[in-house]
Amino acid sequence: MASINSVEWRSICDKFTNAQLLTETESRSDPENDPFRSKYKAREYLREIYCSLKSFEAGDGEEDTVGDNCEQRPTDQPVDGQREDAFSQGLSGDSPAGMRAAKLGAVEYYLGVNHVDTEELPAGQEHLMNCLKMLDRCRVSSENVSLFIHVRNQLGILWAGRDETETAHGFLETAESIYQRYMKEDGRPPTDMTEYFSTEENLLTHQERAKRFELAYTHTMYYLAQVYRNLGENERAATYCHSTLQRQLQLNQFSPMEWALNAATLSQYYITKGQYMEGRHCLAAATVISGLAGEVPSEAAARESETESERREQLQQKRADIARCWIKYCLNLLQDAKKLLEDNIGELDTDRQDELKRARRQEEEEEEKGRKSALLFGSEDTFDSIASVEEKVMCLLPLDFTEARAVFLVGQNYVTQAKEYFQMDGYVTDHIEILQDHSSLFRALAFFEEDLERRCKMHKRRVDMLEPICNDLNSRYYLLIRRQLMFELAETYNEMMDLKLTLANRQADNHSLDSHTIKKFNHLCSASARYFQMFLDSLCSPEGKQPEHLEEEVLRPALVARFRVARLHSKLISSSPPVQLENLNRALENYKYVVQYCEAHPEAAAAVETELELSTEMVGLLPLKINRLKSRMAANN
Amino acid sequence: MSKTKSSESVKVVVRCRPMNDKEKASKFNQVVSVDVKLGQIMVRNPREASELPKVFTFDSVYDCNSKQIDLYDETFRPLVDSVLLGFNGTIFAYGQTGTGKTYTMEGVRNDPERRGVIPNSFEHIFTHISRSQNQQYLVRASYLEIYQEEIRDLLSKDQSHRLELRERPDTGVYVKDLSSFVTKSVREIEHVMNVGNQNRSVGATNMNEHSSRSHAIFVITVECSELGMDGENHIRVGKLNLVDLAGSERQTKTGAQGERLKEATKINLSLSALGNVISALVDGRSSHIPYRDSKLTRLLQDSLGGNARTVMVANIGPASYNVEETLTTLRYANRAKNIKNKPHINEDPKDALLREFQEEIARLKDQLEKRVGKKKRRRQRRRAGEGSDGEDLEDAETEDDDEEGGDYWREQQDKLEREKKAILDDHSLVADEKDLLLREKEKKMEDLRREKEVGEMLAAKVKAMESKLLVGGKNIVDHTNEQQRMLELRRQEIAEQTYCSIWKSRFMPSSDHQMMSRPPSAVGYRRPLSHHAQIAMRMKPDMRYKAENILMLDMDLPARTTEEYQEPVIAPKVAAALEDALRDEDEIQVDASGFHSSLGPTLPASASGSLKKPKSGRPRTSKKSSTPTSPFSPCSPGSPLYPQSRGLVPK
Repeated sequence: MASINSVEWRSICDKFTNAQLLTETESRSDPENDPFRSKYKAREYLREIYCSLKSFEAGDGEEDTVGDNCEQRPTDQPVDGQREDAFSQGLSGDSPAGMRAAKLGAVEYYLGVNHVDTEELPAGQEHLMNCLKMLDRCRVSSENVSLFIHVRNQLGILWAGRDETETAHGFLETAESIYQRYMKEDGRPPTDMTEYFSTEENLLTHQERAKRFELAYTHTMYYLAQVYRNLGENERAATYCHSTLQRQLQLNQFSPMEWALNAATLSQYYITKGQYMEGRHCLAAATVISGLAGEVPSEAAARESETESERREQLQQKRADIARCWIKYCLNLLQDAKKLLEDNIGELDTDRQDELKRARRQEEEEEEKGRKSALLFGSEDTFDSIASVEEKVMCLLPLDFTEARAVFLVGQNYVTQAKEYFQMDGYVTDHIEILQDHSSLFRALAFFEEDLERRCKMHKRRVDMLEPICNDLNSRYYLLIRRQLMFELAETYNEMMDLKLTLANRQADNHSLDSHTIKKFNHLCSASARYFQMFLDSLCSPEGKQPEHLEEEVLRPALVARFRVARLHSKLISSSPPVQLENLNRALENYKYVVQYCEAHPEAAAAVETELELSTEMVGLLPLKINRLKSRMAANN
Repeated sequence: MSKTKSSESVKVVVRCRPMNDKEKASKFNQVVSVDVKLGQIMVRNPREASELPKVFTFDSVYDCNSKQIDLYDETFRPLVDSVLLGFNGTIFAYGQTGTGKTYTMEGVRNDPERRGVIPNSFEHIFTHISRSQNQQYLVRASYLEIYQEEIRDLLSKDQSHRLELRERPDTGVYVKDLSSFVTKSVREIEHVMNVGNQNRSVGATNMNEHSSRSHAIFVITVECSELGMDGENHIRVGKLNLVDLAGSERQTKTGAQGERLKEATKINLSLSALGNVISALVDGRSSHIPYRDSKLTRLLQDSLGGNARTVMVANIGPASYNVEETLTTLRYANRAKNIKNKPHINEDPKDALLREFQEEIARLKDQLEKRVGKKKRRRQRRRAGEGSDGEDLEDAETEDDDEEGGDYWREQQDKLEREKKAILDDHSLVADEKDLLLREKEKKMEDLRREKEVGEMLAAKVKAMESKLLVGGKNIVDHTNEQQRMLELRRQEIAEQTYCSIWKSRFMPSSDHQMMSRPPSAVGYRRPLSHHAQIAMRMKPDMRYKAENILMLDMDLPARTTEEYQEPVIAPKVAAALEDALRDEDEIQVDASGFHSSLGPTLPASASGSLKKPKSGRPRTSKKSSTPTSPFSPCSPGSPLYPQSRGLVPK
């Protein structure tokens, strides 16, 4: 073999450097009509290198036989099986034959990548498979392990691009296990592939080697995350996303804001799965790491330079985004707890509460420890600060008002933070979403509140924050949001009305209600009906006609709104018989609508089963009541 | 183009370019075949010859022989027409670089035959305006680019400035500080476009991949004001977005794209897209925060499932070597067909610039009026009944005002001069006193002059603003134009017929095949089925030509043809009388609606629609003249509603 300093070798190294330069730098400025010009040039260089290497091999070809033996393996199968023997069999990496195989393999690898980049996938696949074949002759060692991983990464990408996720998964999984075994058995920073073709003075430092190797493995993790996602294994995908993030953090290869936002996004996955401990950990890490991005430039600084103002904008926005993720955390925690404690009429079930409290005391110790060891972020210096952020809010479902209130307050604090950036003027949708969350926080908290008077006040707060906005919005652009708001307002008024009635009944046991209470009650009742009606009107065509067919996404809300309007009208208190009659007629009308609609559209019945049942009953009963009222009116006249 | 139609799909057309010289020279096979009539594209996989070709069906397809003008007339003209009516419209161009995207969008500027969509739509808009009557128009254009989630205003002087997307409670999503230019002619709007294109290429010098990775959006806003039935001015605003999407072959490599533009299975290579990977894990439950929405998607949210009509042109190449990319493009286009939009006319929106203009003009005129009017009133009393009230908005009237005003100024000046002279001549005054009086007079003259200047300035301002408002219908509808108009109508008619390919125009009631609608049939079937075929399948499951779009006619037709022969026997006078008597109410209704629409606000398209109906040479099914009891049987012997049988009727 040509010695490492011979002229031929130098020319090979030069060619390699050129090829790398062409691929990585020059290809960026290729013209539009010839987008792969530099890559094609690089390919020529690589081919020449390959030929020269081959000719060296022919020159000292005493070991060809070994190669021939190996090539008899059935290699048609593109699937890369778990090769347990890769560490024990084959040429050792540092033998001349092993080095040669690795070098040829590396050229094949670069050729493969080049073909894939220029969209010649089958050719690329062939080269990459050739590289695998070359490596099959060798034992995994610090000289070639990097290539082992890289080529499998590339094959994984290639097959994933063809929708053959299983095949891709095979390659990437092997890469993962090779990495893990190598780190266990050897662990020295391995030679990078670029070093195969560099002269001695250009060899990399240990640090640089380790960095590149680890980065390759980080990519393996990242690709595996995507492959698992495509396979529908979201849980594993999340774990791999987590590892990718953790590796970025450990190896210090991340931009703080970007990383923090990713961690916050990941928290949302855990939150939706009900894994609040993991969710909280991700969010705490996000908060701490986003702090590393530095202070938000002051307004004055932002006015002076464009870059500062852009940075200010970016930082503020991303921090506000993270705050919003925190809001969602608190909200989901409260709502899940509420779901768990609710009895069949939506009130706090105290038996269940006691039971859960007992169970929690038992589990508390062991579980927290067990889960905590599984997923952790952080390097030594951030670990403590993450833990201290975590302590500020609990990750267990709150079981009583005090606990719920603590969670609520944390959430409300983040609401204020998020609203500072997402103001109404400029960020309408975001701002309203935050307000809706705030309102939902109140709603969930109200569930835990035992004092009805105070509960009512919480609902009043919801009305106060949503009502003005609902009326300000242009329904041309924000129809959906307005509908949501109308419905929520209607329901809130309804809840307030129910509370007032319960309260009044409690106070004035057997006496009839006083006029003030009646007035209040009627006001709430008609406000609720008004918003339901507004919602229904928003479904009408521009000419004001009711739609004959309700679309699926509004089917249930529309029918429920009808039903509620009917109920509210039958509840209105009035001493004047004509008014009573009118209210009852309106109620009947709306009950009838529900029944008739479900008759005309049988598929709708399933969506509103209970409402339909009650409506049918009322359609039967109300006429009797109306007739009785009528006859009484006639008698009085 | 009905107003009440609530939802419609994105219309997707595919255009295949011819083999270029390079491909011919290297002897690549042509793997794409286009069936224009059926609207199908077939792609053979060159590597696996045994495999059946993949078939895609679209609203229309265009092969290498298609002409620019045909494409425009059939696909884009209806869209631009609806923009002029006040709808939002969007045209997406999509496809790998080198498949003729630019040719379709821009074409060859100087060759009218090969002009693309953009110049054709400019021409279309301004021609429409020049032919309109009793309407005021304001046309403005903006041009922006999205590159790596950053928005750049291609028309602003400072190209390094980044713009932000913002929302307002009353007007929805907008780009903050985006400049927009009011244009008065095709030439002006083309100039705007050219300036933007230059800026686009300036930005591209530092990175060449730029242009194929950036999305460019050219927005034309057409505001139209018209006196409504209620005597108030009503403004309709239509917005046309011309979108040049980044080349599809690099879509995946650029990472962050909108949800709908994302390829589902491809792997993101760069760690910078980690966020997207993670957020794809979170299922859309309430806790998901959509802060990763791409700017493009947010900006065009109306076009992808909102208040807009949308046409997407996918461009492909026929050669075997990029069959994969062709398939990707076609699959993507296929998915786009399922996006549903709900377009409606934008009436009297709060942010209409036209209203601002009108108000400003009215205000200025009012000022002018007060200035002149105050002094004129005296005079006007003298020549009562002659002068104009100055309330009219017409240009000519303003000039008249100006002239009168000018007369007035001159009169005043003359008077002052005379007085001055009189003072000078008056020897009875003391010198001091004389001086004082003189100075006073001079000051008066000075004031007068200044006042005149202000008045002129105001008038000039009014004129400048008014010139931006376009009014058609004046001395433009001359003979040649009229002819051209007829020609265009004719062409549109032909286009309509070609578009509604054979099965549709012959076998579907005319109300069912509106220009923008897709046959709901195409879902799940190998090819589109006519409405009739679907109903027939449901009624008779074991029908003979089940999936075919074939209409079975009963055997009563021959009897009817004999009746037709009797017609010439009747004397013409009698025939006329008979016809009058036989004209049933339905037909009278048709007349009435025509009359109605000519009375009401003249919507050009509806007017043209009523014009062209009787002229249509081809027999068409028409719901209006059929009896309600049997929609598929002819009712008046004079008009055959269906193609004559010619032996095709199964016995």
